Amino acid sequence: MKLISEFSKGFIKENPVFVMALGLCPTLAVTSSVQNAIGMGLAATFVLVCSNLIISIIKKLIPDKIRIPSYIVVIASFVTIVDMVMNAYFPAIHKNLGLFIPLIVVNCIILGRAEAFASKNNVIKSIADGLGMGLGFTLALIVIGGIREVLGAGQFLGHPILPATYKPVLVAILAPGAFIVMGLLMGLMNKFKK
Amino acid sequence: MKYYLRLGIVLLVIAIVSSGILAYINSFTRPIIEENQKRAKAEARKEVLPVATDFDSISFFNDETVYVGVDSIGNQVGYTFVASLYGYSSLVKTMVGLTPELKINKIKIIEQKETPGLGANSEKTEFQEQFSGKNIKELTVDKDGGNIISITGATITTRTVTNSIRSGIEMMTELTGFGIQEDKQEEQE
Repeated sequence: MKLISEFSKGFIKENPVFVMALGLCPTLAVTSSVQNAIGMGLAATFVLVCSNLIISIIKKLIPDKIRIPSYIVVIASFVTIVDMVMNAYFPAIHKNLGLFIPLIVVNCIILGRAEAFASKNNVIKSIADGLGMGLGFTLALIVIGGIREVLGAGQFLGHPILPATYKPVLVAILAPGAFIVMGLLMGLMNKFKK
Repeated sequence: MKYYLRLGIVLLVIAIVSSGILAYINSFTRPIIEENQKRAKAEARKEVLPVATDFDSISFFNDETVYVGVDSIGNQVGYTFVASLYGYSSLVKTMVGLTPELKINKIKIIEQKETPGLGANSEKTEFQEQFSGKNIKELTVDKDGGNIISITGATITTRTVTNSIRSGIEMMTELTGFGIQEDKQEEQE
């Protein structure tokens, strides 16, 4: 039962973007369309699960004082491995996602979960936490990306859904649109949580 | 003192292990990646100059080979080169196919890491199609009074693509002078 709550807390209760306000840099950067949001979300989820797994295995071997640099080395290595393997064996996917992979290193959700969770919990729990947080992050990206894509381009997942007479609100897919949409969503989340 | 030495050693071990793993993975993925890129370039050449059945290298531009396209009976039917220039946040590389009169036959963006949703839209066909049939004088972006329609929110990327192609065609004009045969003979002598 505990395991399920470790998994599900990432979606609403402790959503990394809306509640913990982690990983905002990639959130702002890639949510101009739903397709980008899904790509970034799934790539980050994969790295998050792997790094949580490795860190919860080696947590006892790492002295407390140098844990942060150690985690960063583990995470950066993982991202590089994903980048190289994907580029070699799945060039088509890499062409679409390649853009986001370096961004995963700067995603502080991964370091945040390593520090706050994987370094204190066992392997199974850490995997559940990584999976839940990663999918929660993906969900948040899809919601923001969906709103911005519909408003800013009149499309959803690249398909036009609004009548051709609709004039796209360009600001929605530019950087200010990301801040505005995210701010409104955070505010709404706060209001309904109380 | 001993404690701090231990910290350094642990960190060193972690760094050595992970760089070792990375070097190992790199050693067998790199050749595959290079092979993929080579194949992607060959496919891009074929796409921007479909009438050609064979490509002969004639020069170098931007560290990439410039090819002359030859059809099945040996006629020269056009040229391909790679235009490249630094855009908003990355190097933008475009495979360009030219007709023998140095008009653009077709272009294909083969490498870019511009902003997703903005500059990255340069990969869309609607953007790339507008270059077909243009000659060197028609290569100006609308913001600068020309007729290349820029990507929404990505004028810099549009300019980068346009300018890189223009300087490539300038290079081709010098190289061929509309008389590639003479150049080739000179090379042989």
